[in-house]
Amino acid sequence: MIQPYRRMLRVLGDHAPQMQRNVRISTIASVLEGCIYALLFPLMLALFEHPINTSRLGILLAISGGLFAIETVLRWQELTFSWDAVNEISHDTRLKLGEQLRRIPLEQLTNRRSGELNVILGGNVSEIVLWLGSLCLTIIQTLVVPCVTIAVMFWIDWRLAIALTLTFPLAIPIYQQFRKIVGQGTRQTAIADAETASRVIEYAQGLPVLRATKQVGSRSQQIQKALANQRATQSRTNQLVILPSLMIATLVEIGILLIIALGSVYVLQGSLSLPILIALLVIAVRFSEPLAVFANYAAVFDITEAALERIEALLSIQPLVVLAPTQAPEKFDISFESVTFTYLDQSEPVLRNISLHCPERSFTALVGSSGSGKTTITRLISRYADVQQGKICIGGIDIRHIDPTQLMRLVSVVFQDVYLFDDTIYNNIRLAKPGSTDVEVEAAAQAANCHDFISRLPNGYETRVGEIGGALSGGERQRISIARAILKDAPIVLLDEPTSALDTESEVAVQRAIDRLVENKTVIVIAHRLSTVVGADQILVLESGQMIEQGTHSQLLELQGRYASLWKIQQNAYCWRIVA
Amino acid sequence: MTTPTSEVSLWQIIQPVRGGINTAIAISVVGAIAGLAALLPIPLVIDHLLSLNPQSSEVWRLIGISVLCTALSFACRSLSFYVSHQSAFKLEQILRTQLVEHLAQLPLGYIVAMGSGAIKKVVQDDVKGLHAFVADSTPLIARAYATPILTFVVLLLADWKMTLVAVAIAPLGFIFMSLAMKDYKERRQEYDLANEQVNNSVVEFVQGMQVVRTFDDGTTSFVRFRQSLDEFTDKLKAWSGATAVPGRIGSLLFESLPVLLLVASVGSWLYRQNQLELSTFLLFLLLSPNLIGAFRPLMMLSYYTNQSSAAAKRLGSILAEPTLPQSNATRQPNDASIRFRDVSFSYGDRLALQNINLEIPAGSITAFVGPSGAGKTTIARLIPRFWDVTTGAIEIGGVDIRELTNDTLMSWVSFVFQDTFLLYDSIRENIRLGKPDATDAEIIAAAKAAQAHDFILSLPKGYDTIAGERGTRLSGGERQRITIARAILQDNPIVVLDEATAFSDPENEALIQQAIASLTQNKTLIIIAHRLSTIREVDQIVVLDQGQIVEQGKHEELVAADRLYARLWNNHQHAQNWSVQVKNQAVSSR
Repeated sequence: MIQPYRRMLRVLGDHAPQMQRNVRISTIASVLEGCIYALLFPLMLALFEHPINTSRLGILLAISGGLFAIETVLRWQELTFSWDAVNEISHDTRLKLGEQLRRIPLEQLTNRRSGELNVILGGNVSEIVLWLGSLCLTIIQTLVVPCVTIAVMFWIDWRLAIALTLTFPLAIPIYQQFRKIVGQGTRQTAIADAETASRVIEYAQGLPVLRATKQVGSRSQQIQKALANQRATQSRTNQLVILPSLMIATLVEIGILLIIALGSVYVLQGSLSLPILIALLVIAVRFSEPLAVFANYAAVFDITEAALERIEALLSIQPLVVLAPTQAPEKFDISFESVTFTYLDQSEPVLRNISLHCPERSFTALVGSSGSGKTTITRLISRYADVQQGKICIGGIDIRHIDPTQLMRLVSVVFQDVYLFDDTIYNNIRLAKPGSTDVEVEAAAQAANCHDFISRLPNGYETRVGEIGGALSGGERQRISIARAILKDAPIVLLDEPTSALDTESEVAVQRAIDRLVENKTVIVIAHRLSTVVGADQILVLESGQMIEQGTHSQLLELQGRYASLWKIQQNAYCWRIVA
Repeated sequence: MTTPTSEVSLWQIIQPVRGGINTAIAISVVGAIAGLAALLPIPLVIDHLLSLNPQSSEVWRLIGISVLCTALSFACRSLSFYVSHQSAFKLEQILRTQLVEHLAQLPLGYIVAMGSGAIKKVVQDDVKGLHAFVADSTPLIARAYATPILTFVVLLLADWKMTLVAVAIAPLGFIFMSLAMKDYKERRQEYDLANEQVNNSVVEFVQGMQVVRTFDDGTTSFVRFRQSLDEFTDKLKAWSGATAVPGRIGSLLFESLPVLLLVASVGSWLYRQNQLELSTFLLFLLLSPNLIGAFRPLMMLSYYTNQSSAAAKRLGSILAEPTLPQSNATRQPNDASIRFRDVSFSYGDRLALQNINLEIPAGSITAFVGPSGAGKTTIARLIPRFWDVTTGAIEIGGVDIRELTNDTLMSWVSFVFQDTFLLYDSIRENIRLGKPDATDAEIIAAAKAAQAHDFILSLPKGYDTIAGERGTRLSGGERQRITIARAILQDNPIVVLDEATAFSDPENEALIQQAIASLTQNKTLIIIAHRLSTIREVDQIVVLDQGQIVEQGKHEELVAADRLYARLWNNHQHAQNWSVQVKNQAVSSR
């Protein structure tokens, strides 16, 4: 319980004092509540006096009323926290996590599946907030009130107080066992759930094929197996949990009843007065239920703790360090000096000792099979991650010395998969240069060959992307992405050459758009179709992270090496025809 | 607190496990009775202790009864919890099976449009969403109703005046609570909407982050993210602002302490007047908080019900989606020819194909071409019944495809599209999918024909390598060749092919092209063509524009006709010769 609380304070950051204050308020209120219950002892004593001690009774009831009034005020504040402050906290925590996503190295960002991040920013924040809002306070109430009352009991009858105190430690080992089972069960269920989830995704994606092979519905073995396993896992956990939870509850309840029996025996022996026993009865019955079901919070603890762990893990990722002094490049040539780079989750380097130089306003093509390191080179230029050895310079300045925002302004990236926001077309293009006017946006769209198809949309540039859904073709999305890059007008352009998915008309339009984009820029193209890069100033041929050939198209053909053979294969492939 | 309609659908959806749920509720009621019964001997103990000649054996007897009742109460509670959970798990399995069965009968187009992510959400998450209601709330329902009612009856029998005192606070609490719940439905809807927006903006923010980060440090999208967060928080604040005071008063009144203090004060006074027996007084001290305390589970209940009814609604809407009508006829096509008769097709109200009439002879090659959005993919997808035609008919071998059973249709048509699908299973099993009873030798032969044999052998476990397992990442072209091997094994007389597959892996195009050549030999072949040079020699080219056939014929005829096809061909040749040119005026002027 202490562990998640500490973690919680760390995650809350600026809001931690608020939380601490509220825990204090809640504790004080619970102490007062415990005192009110403890007042039942003198109250009963007063009732049993002959004649009844009316004035004492009145005073005691008045004190109870007073304490209750104070408690109410405190509980009021507590509720204010759980109704209002908690909203602020979830708001700020989400913002903080959002800020963090902007800062962490891109490699860390791509390593996490977006589903996982969604869960953290969406679900996990709600989970900790639930804990914060009510559970934490319920726990304090459930634990503190009985403790205070027991403490008062020591003063009234130490024998019963000790007996009461002993009941709880008995439940602790069972409780720990219980938590272990719940924890294991939760993990196993999570694994089984993940398995069904991925089988369902697979099923949905493969339905055309599965239907063709009659492997659907109850005949789909993969899914049926996963579903059966999921249910078995759930049942098993459920069965395992039931006994210890029953034991704890029974132990606590029966323990309390036994203390009542013990009290009765003392009354019979004459060593305890009846009014004290009556008060004890009322109090014990009141506490037994919350204490007995307390164990069931274990599952919630686990969920909260897991949520906190994930949030903390995300918050603890360090952004890439900007080395002092920060410098701004004035020229835009790019050089790699003996660069070796390994991805976080891999053991083998993807780039080995790569040195290259792309002069300002030159055109460099990267050629090689998939996995050869082409994409990695373009990623590293925009500081996707830092290299392990060597350095990358723009205009002679190590990119680690360039302010990250500044660096991003220098580089435009056009990839094959284009992400469009559910916003207007205007804003989707404007993204590249916040603050640009509509006229500028339209000019960029025109240059990227987008203007015509955008004008045909129901609301033109004001059309929201979400409204037209999948109505934009691959080629149209490509062109919007190029329009962004044209608007941005960065001196360096990194381009992943569009491949086959485009039909002829789109292809031509995209090609024209690219022609306009790359004018007067330092350009690096990841080439798939060699014919598109015959005009490059230099072609770099990569294989397994090493540069094996370098030169212009004609130089490389003369070399009769890897490039020449690739060229030959592709020439043949383009002449491919379907014949009967 | 919940709308009646959503509750109805919730109860409808849990119908398959109604028996289990009812049992759980019944057991829970027994538990509630036992819980109450456990308290009743306690005042008797006091009575006995006050009697002239108290016996410890009598005290032990009464306490013993109480212990038994308590044990019974907890046992019932656990059993009820167990039964309701087991029913919930059973329900999950039943519903998921029902869903995957149903999905298999929906138009494939619907599945594609919905997307695997959304399907996973329904089958996994929404089904799980019912858990709160089925497993957690059904035992609560019993307790929340049974405990206060029983308590009320017992107290009423004991002393009606004191009972009035004990329930005095309740109406007050209810007034404040109903004030707090004012406009609950509207507010709740607003809240749900805002919550959904926050979740959407989280998804968008996260997914777009990588792209956005290549433009700037994410300021623009961060602003959007913050705006929707602000909106959400404002809505929440407005809601809690409007209901805060009555809500807080209500929840403070529903604590047990105020009731206890009231009962203690009035009880003391009545006791002093000799109008109340000590044991009755004690009974009220013990039981009266039950009356109020029971409403807490009721609040939890409405929370659970709300959570689950939204999920139930989504499940219901998927299950209500009409399936493709299935034929019981045992007709078989006469040959592998295809015929479109006056086919029109709309997506919703958007007309995609109009009056298509087309003959495709058995064993011929037909290519569909046209600008994007012309309908060439749609027309090809109607053949394997991704959707049904809106009007007209498609025939295979003279039989309307709607009169073929799904199994028959699928044994006539194979399709190879750009999106490759591999099961998380061995490569062998992935190819075998095409023909479940295929021998290993047949599988290897198909793999060889698909140019996949060599690379499969180079994998760590050969044909037993699990596709998609960490460390054995297959390239796009390799995956494509495995799916082609599957289609070769299937050996269906009609093949529908998206030509882009041939170019999905620029580094290995030649291999895929050879694989396709083996697949399409001696078949009726339909190609969705993008790259016109590929189809120069096919039997017929069908040119589509805006959902209509505008031209039809062989390559040379169409080029000579100098219409849309000729224009596309011209464009294509340009595109083939394109290369990136960086104009360097500035450098040369330096």
